Amino acid sequence: MSGSVQASSTTAKATVNDTKDNGETPKEQQKPATQLEEDDEFEDFPVEGAPQQEETELPSGSTHLWEESWDDDDTNDEFSQQLREEIKRSAKSS
Amino acid sequence: MASTPTLEQFLRELGNIIRAGDGEQMRNYMIIEPPYNDLYQKMINEVRQNYPKEQEGALDDFCRDNLPEARDGIDGVSWTAFIYFIAQYFTFIRDVNVDNLLDTYNLFSEVMQKISSALGHSTLGIILLPTVIEYSKVFAKLAIGLDKQPELIANAVATTSDEGGEGETLPERAGNIIRSAFTTCLNDRNSSGIAPDNTPDSRNKKSGIYKLANLCLKIFFQCRKIRNCEQIFTNIYNQSPPLSIYPKAQQVTYLYYLGRFQFANSHFWRAQLALQHALDLTPANFISQRRLILIYLLTSNLLLGRFPSAALYSLPEARGLRQHFGPLCRAIARGDIPAFQQLTSLETGPSAGWLYSHKVLLEIRYRGFVLVQRSLTRLVFLVAGDPGDPEARKAPTLDISAVHTALRYLEHRPPQAAVYVDPDFEGMDPAELNYLDEDGEPNPLLLPTFAESEALIASMIDQNLINGFISHRQGRLAIQGAKRKAAVAAGWPKVWEVIVAKFAGEEVPGWKKDGAGGTGMGGGMVVNLSGVRGVS
Repeated sequence: MSGSVQASSTTAKATVNDTKDNGETPKEQQKPATQLEEDDEFEDFPVEGAPQQEETELPSGSTHLWEESWDDDDTNDEFSQQLREEIKRSAKSS
Repeated sequence: MASTPTLEQFLRELGNIIRAGDGEQMRNYMIIEPPYNDLYQKMINEVRQNYPKEQEGALDDFCRDNLPEARDGIDGVSWTAFIYFIAQYFTFIRDVNVDNLLDTYNLFSEVMQKISSALGHSTLGIILLPTVIEYSKVFAKLAIGLDKQPELIANAVATTSDEGGEGETLPERAGNIIRSAFTTCLNDRNSSGIAPDNTPDSRNKKSGIYKLANLCLKIFFQCRKIRNCEQIFTNIYNQSPPLSIYPKAQQVTYLYYLGRFQFANSHFWRAQLALQHALDLTPANFISQRRLILIYLLTSNLLLGRFPSAALYSLPEARGLRQHFGPLCRAIARGDIPAFQQLTSLETGPSAGWLYSHKVLLEIRYRGFVLVQRSLTRLVFLVAGDPGDPEARKAPTLDISAVHTALRYLEHRPPQAAVYVDPDFEGMDPAELNYLDEDGEPNPLLLPTFAESEALIASMIDQNLINGFISHRQGRLAIQGAKRKAAVAAGWPKVWEVIVAKFAGEEVPGWKKDGAGGTGMGGGMVVNLSGVRGVS
């Protein structure tokens, strides 16, 4: 059955060449970072079946990435001064 | 005289594969993408010589004769749909011409429908799952390719599916065809879909649902048919095994699209939950994936009152994001309405085009505006409020007319950017809308009235963004809770804390967790789009 051997080996090879496992193509991996902005497509990252990488999940560790206290108490900048004056002026005239 | 030794050999091999139940080998044989190697070239020649166009009936018969395993079935249940799929496959490799994307799409579409139907066999269908997934990837690539070359399909809108609705576009139709394969997989009731080691059961078609769902979502997002995603999320929420048992890459892609779907429906809390988990699951070296996730996570968090920190901006995947989001955060924190409007206008905002291309600009403009208004009322309190006297049990107050003055003043300067344009009238000439009077000054009739300024504060109170009450008679806002903390902290709680108090514990419809979702909750959960109120 040389035909069957030929079939399975050649087709398997073709498939491997074709998809590089999990649909990730070499082109995408080598894509220069500057093109990131133009390509909105989200590709599966290729770790299916590979040993799982250590989780980056750090519930407390990710907190410092976000700032929940951002209120601005500065009332001496130009914007605040202008507002203050305008409110005063308006209060006087009414 | 028919001479088809290679085809017959090929079908015998397929018969062996069916008997062995070997799905991977089936995929290896059913190569669909050219260029084809010698063996496939021989088959193509044999099909062309013996079964040219218009001979498809004879080709069906030939496949039936040479595939006894499908014709008679393995356990006595025949698999006729497989025979039609193989015949269609031969037709495809006979006729395909990749130089013509549209023809390729149409031919491939036939193959997809046939294989999807063959996948439905209750016991043998699973053998086709790896092939279906492989073909769906190719089909998605084709559909997205078509979507990016709209000139090719300008005259080729597929059949209309909804009564009176828009015609189904070709890329959308591809998504819907893959979705039918997805539904077939989701409905596999041969087992729970979960193997004893708590991974997807490879003998159950449910093992393929997230790969297929992700391809559909990718197509629907690409061709701007986000509504079509809803059915997928609802079906998964009702029938899927927990997402967490699937490979991480599949989880991440799914959560990315789920997050974006929730974002597009103004459910920013749900969006950030899905996207944060997607980011947590994505290893640090996959920067392009992390960057896309981060853009939507950052925007969701921003609109929920959680700003990116310097540490976030310094991540490699966040490169350049500070220039897009930093000025917005500053304008929101300052309550600087003119600056915010300028930043979010496509005409004047340096990053507005970038934000628009990522489909976050409108959400920022409308939801973010509420946060700017909140900061402005806070700033007005700081510069013109009455701090009260806790000892004398006198609450801090703010004259609403001060807020009113500030709002009117900011609408005055600078005229172009500050004039509020209702989204319905966007793009129209301001003069035509009477925004400006004859002297180029804002039309006083269009500036906020006192009642509107008061309503704005009432709306903030209603959303818990301001902690207090209005004395309508005195025209004042009174701050509550200032005994225990400073007046401004009591009156303007941190936005993120308000949001957490409101949403903590809420599930994300579409995100199947252990024991979550499913029975009796119906599809209505995803339909509810009432995320956020606007403030006029």
